[in-house]
Amino acid sequence: MTTTNVPTTATTRTAAELYAALIQSQPLFILDVRNEEDFARWRVEGRAALETLNIPYFEFIEDEAAAVARVPRDRDILVVCAKEGSSEYVAEILRNHSLNAAHLEGGIITWGNLYDVRDIADNAAGRIVQIARPARGDVSFMIISDGQAAIIDPLRHTNYYLDTARQAGASVTQIFDTHVHADHISGGPALAQATGAPYYVHAYDAIHPIDMLPAQMPYEHLQDGQTFTVGQYSVKVIWFPGHTLGQVNYLATAPDGQSYLFTGDGIFLKSFGRPDLGGKGETWTPILYESIYERLPQHIDDSTVILPSHFSLLDEDDGQGRFAAPYGQVRRQNDALVPRSKEEFTAYVLGNLPVFPPQYVEIKRVNIGLVHPTEEQAGELELGRNICALSQ
Amino acid sequence: MATEFDQTLDVKGAKCPMPLVKSRKAINDLTVGQTLRVLATDRGSVADFQGWVKTAKNIELVAQETVQENGTDLYVHYLKRTS
Repeated sequence: MTTTNVPTTATTRTAAELYAALIQSQPLFILDVRNEEDFARWRVEGRAALETLNIPYFEFIEDEAAAVARVPRDRDILVVCAKEGSSEYVAEILRNHSLNAAHLEGGIITWGNLYDVRDIADNAAGRIVQIARPARGDVSFMIISDGQAAIIDPLRHTNYYLDTARQAGASVTQIFDTHVHADHISGGPALAQATGAPYYVHAYDAIHPIDMLPAQMPYEHLQDGQTFTVGQYSVKVIWFPGHTLGQVNYLATAPDGQSYLFTGDGIFLKSFGRPDLGGKGETWTPILYESIYERLPQHIDDSTVILPSHFSLLDEDDGQGRFAAPYGQVRRQNDALVPRSKEEFTAYVLGNLPVFPPQYVEIKRVNIGLVHPTEEQAGELELGRNICALSQ
Repeated sequence: MATEFDQTLDVKGAKCPMPLVKSRKAINDLTVGQTLRVLATDRGSVADFQGWVKTAKNIELVAQETVQENGTDLYVHYLKRTS
């Protein structure tokens, strides 16, 4: 297979094709033709080098020549809008001006709902499968071994997990959330209902931290140090409070000793989970410090593969769409993890807290069964990329 | 008090970008000072019309309202040709 870049003649690209292009760092130029407000709320993000320009479609209607003149002539242009109509309209205008332009099928809404399924590991012990929703920077996983499947941090669209288990001929035996999420709606309770497998979450997270109200959904409480079996893997629960009080990490160990740490919003590959989404950042930051610098190192070594539930930019992958790295590498590449005193750490964290998205309070209500959104409301709540990491 | 208008453009059922494309054409047919009432079902038209009038040289967005018609939301825009 050649890797020559043949100029594309297709007038559309699917969301999956867009994702493949972003992962491979193809020289793509994104022209987003939504209004400025929608563009500011969220947009297609990729590697840091991705170039994006916002020219609302109505500028092409008002003054076509002036708008077209702002678009580079020597690039592959992908035109993006909310659904599809305006991007198709603008792409045609650009092609009439001899530019190389295609539009994104289904618009940014379809991109936002794209899931990407790929293996992190596939060997004699079984498979570790990554199920990501790239537009949101959300990542979840499955451990599949000897006909058993555990799901970790499942996202809202449950069919991807059920399909993956069915294709592997495995039955779902456990559904694990690392914590009660604030940025997206968990697929855990729905998967428990669909499969009959227990849904596990730490009881400290079954109380809404702002409302101080208890969960209204069925769940099994986790204990620090508790162990489970998934085929040939043993899975140990490591309590990791800080981002939430009930956050845990799951340490899966294969018979050959290779271990995988599912960190949720504990440590990320280039950052770690912010401790203020429960509304008590100053109180929780020292607890987070103890989790990162004192509790976790007792359980893992530099060869443990770190598998977080978020990324901020595609650059955090291994070059092939896998958001995984050995702990030794994470320690070297993650500026947020450099050794600090507790006082330095607290100052660092409290000085780097990004905006607190107001909908995160409501999403936690959904995730502990206090409110039940419609499909449309769920989509609105999950608009855009997660803001779970510290600012970088 | 109801907003006054001179012409009505019905773009119910039309999806982006057509409500705006057709509104542009209809405004070109108005005389200066006249107001066009646009009836749209595309929710995105609300923010798009607000953005559009900032760019457009001869349009003022006089008013916008959402009304119920047969159980669905109808987005009504009043656009005045200013030059």
